[in-house]
Amino acid sequence: MAGESNIRTALSNPAGWQSLLSFSILALAYLAAFSSRLFAVIRFESIIHEFDPWFNYRSTHHLVNYGFYNFLNWFDERAWYPLGRIVGGTVYPGLMVTAGTIHWLLNSLHITVHIRDVCVFLAPTFSGLTSIATYLLTKELWSQGAGLLAACFIAIVPGYISRSVAGSYDNEGIAIFALLFTYFLWVKSVKTGSIFWAGCTALAYFYMVSAWGGYVYIINLIPLHVFVLLLMGRFSYRIFVAYCAFFILGLLLSMQIPFVGFQPIRTSEHMASAGVFALLIAYGFLKYLHTHLSSLTKSEMRSLFFFAVAASAAAVLMAVVYLTYAGYVAPWSGRFYSLYDTGYAKIHIPIIASVSEHQPTTWVSFFFDLHVLVCTFPAGVWFCIKKINDERVFIVLYAISASYFAGVMVRLMLTLTPVVCILSAIAFSNVLERYLVDDTPKVHHIEDESEDDEEGDKRNKSKDLYDKVTKTAGKVRKIRHEPSGEPESLGGNVKTIVVMAVMMILMMFAVHCTWVTSNAYSSPSVVLASYNHDGSRNILDDFREAYYWLRQNTDDHSRVMSWWDYGYQIAGMANRTTLVDNNTWNNSHIALVGKAMSSNETRAYEIMKALDVDYVLVIFGGVIGYSGDDINKFLWMVRIAEGEHPKEIREGDYFTPQGEFRVDKAGSKTLLNCLMYKLCYYRFGEMQLDFRTPPGFDRTRNVEIGNKDISFQHLEEAYTTEHWLVRIYKVKKQDNRVRLDHTVRKTDIKPKTKFTSRKSGKRKRGFIKNKMLIKKGKRPSSKNKKPSRKTSSKK
Amino acid sequence: MASRVLIVLLAALVGVHAGGRTLVLLDNLAIKESHSVFFKSLADRGFDLTFKTADDSSLALIKYGEFLFEHLIIFAPSVEEFGGNLDTSALTEFIDGGGNILVAASSEIGEPIRELASECGVEFDEEKTAVIDHLNYDLADEGQHTLIVADPENLIDVKNIVGTKRDAPILFRGVGMVADTDNPLVLDVLTGSSTSYSFYPDEKVSEYPHAVGKNTLLVAALQARNNARVVFTGSLELFSDQFFTAAVQKAIAGAQKHDKSGNEAFALALSRWVFKEEGVLRGGVVKHHRKGEQEPPTAYTVMEEVVYSIVIEQLVNGKWVPFDANDVQLEFVRIDPFVRTTMQRKGGKFVAEFKLPDVYGVFQYRVDYNRLGYTHLFSTTQVSVRPFTHTQYERFIAAAYPYYASAFSMMFGLFVFSLVFLHHREDTKEKTE
Repeated sequence: MAGESNIRTALSNPAGWQSLLSFSILALAYLAAFSSRLFAVIRFESIIHEFDPWFNYRSTHHLVNYGFYNFLNWFDERAWYPLGRIVGGTVYPGLMVTAGTIHWLLNSLHITVHIRDVCVFLAPTFSGLTSIATYLLTKELWSQGAGLLAACFIAIVPGYISRSVAGSYDNEGIAIFALLFTYFLWVKSVKTGSIFWAGCTALAYFYMVSAWGGYVYIINLIPLHVFVLLLMGRFSYRIFVAYCAFFILGLLLSMQIPFVGFQPIRTSEHMASAGVFALLIAYGFLKYLHTHLSSLTKSEMRSLFFFAVAASAAAVLMAVVYLTYAGYVAPWSGRFYSLYDTGYAKIHIPIIASVSEHQPTTWVSFFFDLHVLVCTFPAGVWFCIKKINDERVFIVLYAISASYFAGVMVRLMLTLTPVVCILSAIAFSNVLERYLVDDTPKVHHIEDESEDDEEGDKRNKSKDLYDKVTKTAGKVRKIRHEPSGEPESLGGNVKTIVVMAVMMILMMFAVHCTWVTSNAYSSPSVVLASYNHDGSRNILDDFREAYYWLRQNTDDHSRVMSWWDYGYQIAGMANRTTLVDNNTWNNSHIALVGKAMSSNETRAYEIMKALDVDYVLVIFGGVIGYSGDDINKFLWMVRIAEGEHPKEIREGDYFTPQGEFRVDKAGSKTLLNCLMYKLCYYRFGEMQLDFRTPPGFDRTRNVEIGNKDISFQHLEEAYTTEHWLVRIYKVKKQDNRVRLDHTVRKTDIKPKTKFTSRKSGKRKRGFIKNKMLIKKGKRPSSKNKKPSRKTSSKK
Repeated sequence: MASRVLIVLLAALVGVHAGGRTLVLLDNLAIKESHSVFFKSLADRGFDLTFKTADDSSLALIKYGEFLFEHLIIFAPSVEEFGGNLDTSALTEFIDGGGNILVAASSEIGEPIRELASECGVEFDEEKTAVIDHLNYDLADEGQHTLIVADPENLIDVKNIVGTKRDAPILFRGVGMVADTDNPLVLDVLTGSSTSYSFYPDEKVSEYPHAVGKNTLLVAALQARNNARVVFTGSLELFSDQFFTAAVQKAIAGAQKHDKSGNEAFALALSRWVFKEEGVLRGGVVKHHRKGEQEPPTAYTVMEEVVYSIVIEQLVNGKWVPFDANDVQLEFVRIDPFVRTTMQRKGGKFVAEFKLPDVYGVFQYRVDYNRLGYTHLFSTTQVSVRPFTHTQYERFIAAAYPYYASAFSMMFGLFVFSLVFLHHREDTKEKTE
């Protein structure tokens, strides 16, 4: 930090030191955001994590190797065998293009970086950019000080780190930046009412559309903002210009992404924006008429105007309803409907409900991911509502909708996190502003120990700056956020105590963030780590072991069947054809795999034969106690299979009569004989893990398994990794012969010749019942005597 | 012994197509004499026959991981245990390795034969039983009605297996079989008549017989999935010189008398089939490409015209000649067949031309020619069919002309408007001011 003398000189030029300070704080926030996400890389290695990132990495690799157009037209014949997948048309290409561009840029500067490293470090890089975008947005909304606080918060908050550590190369990593930057530009364009900023908003929105399916949130939130502003009677031509420019450009741009295509004009999710656009035009038109019709009285005018607006709103609504009903516009898709009705997915689309990150959020995870921010965030909302203006309406709407969505789905915690950071920063900065101000006005005493301190002071300076902005916006703002009317005379001690407490809380927040990042969010999930009693670390590298085995030992075109979770990893690491993967676009194909897994071996073999399966891969955690294994996911396979094949697969069959899902002796017969069970527990019954437990003791479910006598007819074990985490089976070819399915008939109507083998190591002669005997000097008379050797007549 | 091995080796080197090395296992060497016509015919056709008794302690089919024989004849019904290294598992291994077996049983049938049969999906009746038919027995029958006269119409109607000459009935004495009707690989070559059954000839029928009526198989054949062929006959005597030359007449009034039984023709035809002299096909070079091109592309695009050709050859008298048939079909499969078309013969090749469906995915060209009496011909070639690339769609479609028109008119309108706007604004401003 700057020295005392430096500040003194800077005081003479406030804008100079202020920008220097905010620049350095932002730079530090960037650095913190980047470096706190590197735990996984330092502990393990520079490797892609999880499942989806493997696909992203694979397609980025394709993009880099073959160029953009080849990527756009890439037909991936190795996924979704035998359907194939058009990658270019089913992917949000923003992430790959971003990474590819960075790679190209670096390489053209002769900084030779492997594309994998670009991918691994992309998310941390963009987290830094996110914190800057947060700063900009908060600055527009409140003040520079709050912006800096918000930038610091978002840099380290676990809710965001969870999706953006190094190696988690996923859409969300860049999408949150795009989201916040779009919002910043939107707020800016609402404030200025300039087409330029609205155009920028549309461009940022385009980037967001290319990056993440969550763009739908923007295209609903911004119209909602406009609509609420209309309701509040805050219509202005700034909003009119901003929204119309943004909507038209954004609509056209978003349709350029092949995956999105015509959705913006054909689906209900996008209809709100079109409706608000129509309404805004109608409103503007009526407003225009308003200025020309001066013959009416004011009250008449008002009621007429109100009536006309209501009528046009109703007309727009009716039009949308009619279009949906007539089939021109697709109704709400299941994924969105499940946001409204949390039970919907579980009944109708089990494939969505089966993903753990689509479950409703627990209270614990709110605190875990946001810590103290979740408590101060309502205060921020309150401040914003209290001093409402156009753009604060926006942030309030963002806060309300995001908290709802975050409550419905764990995954959407991600969209809540930025707004929590912003509003908490506002709350904190308000508090600090109150309590850090010196009693003696006009003299700004600066303590250079803490940065928050400085921000508090800075805020006093930045008031003018903010006001300036509002003036350029051309709107008179009545609300001032400086605590002018409030009592200034607080005791010095009280102030110190409050500041100390706030500092303590913020410190604990930082400690918590670091701890959570280090412990919860920085394991690559491809590599597992366990800790011994003495604290030494054990690396379980079973996944890669298995995938590399597949890569090295199987035919290049072999097809691997596994549950869809592992599809991307198999494609990425083992480079083998998969049947289903994490891009769950074809439910019936997944259901077919689910059906194979939940049928008995014979029926499963028929399905596997129809799908040309060569290998089956299952994840089994019973040896090491890994809870995310296939047996624990099994009920979802059953449910998904049941959805498509209700006659053959019934969920109830897999439960005990008491309705329990048990893998021990009490488990249902169907479960104990289905393919998945057999694949997981094959030969497990012979394995005794330690002396306290019986053989075949499953550590994940803590039971002794019910079926230890497992044998396969159509499959054979091909590979099992060191800790049995991944088991690979080979599907045998069809039997060369078809054996009798029963033992041959034996009756005792007539006594049979009894025969016991007399073969031994030395004596290799067989036995013929009715051997013809040749006795020298005698005529062959009787049979059934001691067999004697008859020399070969050939010699 | 060494010289013999050498001879076998030489024979293997010289006459690969001529028959092949054949091991004949016998109950006793007398059978070699009593079935001399059959064996002579085999030897004449170029088979290199090695006779051994079934209990010979030096029996082996495999040496150093190589099969010593291509074919195996088991004329040893009463064997209770094979000698040497031979047992049921060695025999099944032989079949799975592509070897062909001709098995003849009799009422003295021993357990190894029954086991081998059950491994192949055929169930022999028990020892000492026989096929009995009180209506269709020969005049020469000794009173137990076990010398069956099998009508030629009970033969399977496949000329590759049973030959073309089948007017005379076939004499049969021995044990019956049944096979699972669901078994897709086992063929009922010769069934008993509807009045036949299988039981102990000298016992009262106290239990439901093992086989009754048409279910009673006299001769059954298996063509395994690797095209190895195995024939089971319930009667060893069927192949004997005596039956070959015997006259046949059913012991019912007015029955037609045949001077010579159909046994010889049937047995020889059967042996031709089982030892792969008849009905052997092979698929040769597969070519596929877009119409008008020569090389297969890395991926096809939907709705392209493609040409597929496959060479199919048949083994005739030890030579591969182009196969002649008009029922070879090609399927274009992605789980289900999307195209199924009959291929045309063109100069030794079978050719199909068709338009790819408007469906993308990973497809297979599949020729699955499975006809009775022929080896199973299965050829599959995997290709990818991709959707249009972004440049392959039609650029200017008629339906879009209104939009083009509107876009251009809008551009023009904007231009005119801005001109007007720019020039009139100042005028009006000046006027108002």
